[in-house]
Amino acid sequence: MSDADRSEGESLLKRYSTRALVAGVTIASVVALLLAGLLFPDSLAGTLSDALTSRNTLASALRLSVPIAFAALGGIFAEKSGVINIGLEGLLIISAFSAIYVADITGGVWIGFAGGVVASTLLAALFAVVTIGFRADQIIAGLAVWLIALGLAPFASQVIYSSPNTPTVATTGSITVPVLADLPFFGALFSASPSVYMLFAAVFGSWYVFERTAFGRWIRASGENPKALDTAGVSVTHVRYAAVLISGVLAGMGGAALSLDLGQFTGNGPTMVNGKGFIAIVAYLFGNYNPVGAFLSTMLFAGLDALQTVLQLQGIGIPRQLIRITPFVVVILVLALVGRTRLPEAAGEHYDTEE
Amino acid sequence: MSAADRARKALSRLVDASATERILISTAALVLSVLIGAVLVLVAGRMTTCTAGEAVYYFGTGFCYDPVVVFDRLFLGALGDPLSGSWSPNGQFAVTLRETTLLIFTGLSVALAFRTGIFNIGTQGQMVVGALATALGVLWASSLVSGVVGTVVLIPFGLLVGGVFGGLYGAVPGLLKAYADANEVITTIMLNFIATGVALYLVSGVFKDPESAANQTVPLPEFAQFPALLFGGRQDFSLVALAFGLLAIGGLYYVLEHTAFGYDIRTSGVQPEAAEYGGVDAKRTVVASLTLSGALGGIAGAMYVMMVLGTFQTGIPSYGFDGITVSILAGNNPLGVGVAALLFGVLKSGTTVVQFATDVPPQLVGVLRGLIILFVAMPEFFRLLGRGLPGAGSKPEAVATDGGTVTESGGETDE
Repeated sequence: MSDADRSEGESLLKRYSTRALVAGVTIASVVALLLAGLLFPDSLAGTLSDALTSRNTLASALRLSVPIAFAALGGIFAEKSGVINIGLEGLLIISAFSAIYVADITGGVWIGFAGGVVASTLLAALFAVVTIGFRADQIIAGLAVWLIALGLAPFASQVIYSSPNTPTVATTGSITVPVLADLPFFGALFSASPSVYMLFAAVFGSWYVFERTAFGRWIRASGENPKALDTAGVSVTHVRYAAVLISGVLAGMGGAALSLDLGQFTGNGPTMVNGKGFIAIVAYLFGNYNPVGAFLSTMLFAGLDALQTVLQLQGIGIPRQLIRITPFVVVILVLALVGRTRLPEAAGEHYDTEE
Repeated sequence: MSAADRARKALSRLVDASATERILISTAALVLSVLIGAVLVLVAGRMTTCTAGEAVYYFGTGFCYDPVVVFDRLFLGALGDPLSGSWSPNGQFAVTLRETTLLIFTGLSVALAFRTGIFNIGTQGQMVVGALATALGVLWASSLVSGVVGTVVLIPFGLLVGGVFGGLYGAVPGLLKAYADANEVITTIMLNFIATGVALYLVSGVFKDPESAANQTVPLPEFAQFPALLFGGRQDFSLVALAFGLLAIGGLYYVLEHTAFGYDIRTSGVQPEAAEYGGVDAKRTVVASLTLSGALGGIAGAMYVMMVLGTFQTGIPSYGFDGITVSILAGNNPLGVGVAALLFGVLKSGTTVVQFATDVPPQLVGVLRGLIILFVAMPEFFRLLGRGLPGAGSKPEAVATDGGTVTESGGETDE
């Protein structure tokens, strides 16, 4: 028993130290880069640190992190309750398309946003019925959700608009806080799309739910020790249904924000979502199921993505196609370093109430 | 005699017992998906616009798409209209068999990993890597030989190159899973994106065919491609390739059921702890299984290059993802993969016929693919449905037919 405790403690230590290591190396290299840039403004380091400290980079990092972070928050809710939702990508796709479609027929951007959320929630409800009600394998059902959305969104777009890409609609625009928006670098925080502020609220809200409310404790218990929750008189099934539906709502907000930010849905190949749902899964694993942690690791991925866009504009000699795959390579590196994160005890398992 | 043999017998009894049920579930999933697809076609037909003359009427309502026509084209069209009397091997049936051949390999790739308890979502990427390697390798080698000798030498060589590179790419998630505990579902999906990106970079740059506007490699000479026997050359189908596919089915069946390696794989998939206790090296099995699985995906890529395109072009169709459906539909059984690949080959080839005959978008088959996976994943649903039907347990005749397509099934009697 003490052996088990010790090995648990050791792996805990190892886990945290790898995370700390990754975070430390990231911060150290950023600082080194900034220093080098300060000393040699004309070198590559100078260009890089210019890009890093530009408020455009922060602005686009925030914009790029919106869909990923929303999906990651959704993933946390589902997985903490014991349902691994690998279909986040599909939820993003279906909401991105539905948001544009509803916005197009009603003319209202925010009605479109709501439409996207509803579509994603419906698909999540289907996923919940299949996995919780009919005990389907969660991974396979999640894949099915992804593949259904991957087919359905371009199919619908082709039927309605005769092209996998929709026409453009009005975008959500941006909210600017006077004075604060003029700050260097951090000004980007105060002149952003409404979805960025909604994301901040959602990150805080999720954190609050998990740390401060009974519902948050139920979700944790449903994933860690469903029997105890059952004994305490709370229905595991209901908690799991609620958690999966919340994941649908959150992912739907991410998808709707993604397409309405551009005012268009593009459905060629992997669609405009292009793996963001899967990056979200890695983001919350790396963030150790903590909403704030998930947001910060999303910013790491999105920051890299933003940086590559800035570098492309400045004509740094790395081919565009290769720069584009950096987030995916980083995801693999992160997974290789962090390894298995401790899943909730009962994640992936079906729970039968004993009556 | 040994414990291993006894365990194998017990396991095969278990598999046999559920085989009937599994076939029933797969069939029901397919039928249900097609029905939902029909509803989807009707709904889509309400949402699009057409003239009154083009519309069909059901229940007093007009629809722009007719699901009966859609599914008639989808299934009969894919078989080259066998009922019309003008059937020829050069028609759509050849396209169906071509799709089937490719799906056999991607399906086997996914199935092998599944049997080890691993989700290889990366068959698509492994196929891209194998296809690119084959296109470049065979192009280089084709300057050394020519004529009939060239065909005899280059085709096995191309398959080997595709298999080796696909296998190496499959080994990456295997190593990551075995030694870094990285979840293979995520790593294989990421590796798909990376394979596509790197291939696009290479083919739009260094290896681009200077005479083509598309992002593709220099086309292979005619003798470096699969010969079209019996079937017309226009459909890009070769019986030789299909024979390779059937051989692969038999081979994988034999490896899984009659070798020590196959035993390791199956026990790792069913009972990982017991397998480890029984002396199976779990890490080695994971890496070996994903490498072999990647090799099968790579061979699918080689087939695509040497049979269908004759060059590598970016934007390889999603045979890898379809392989997931094929494998799940087949209950991850190599023999079942043959039947499921044919079924899904019909769906894929029929989609192009549907596109010609109607305005229904070809993405329909993508939706069907997802629905089939969803339904096969929820056997509980069909058990619930079946509880009301007393005749649900009757033996379907499909059980025996998949054995007939296998060339090496003679080996299984020597127990």
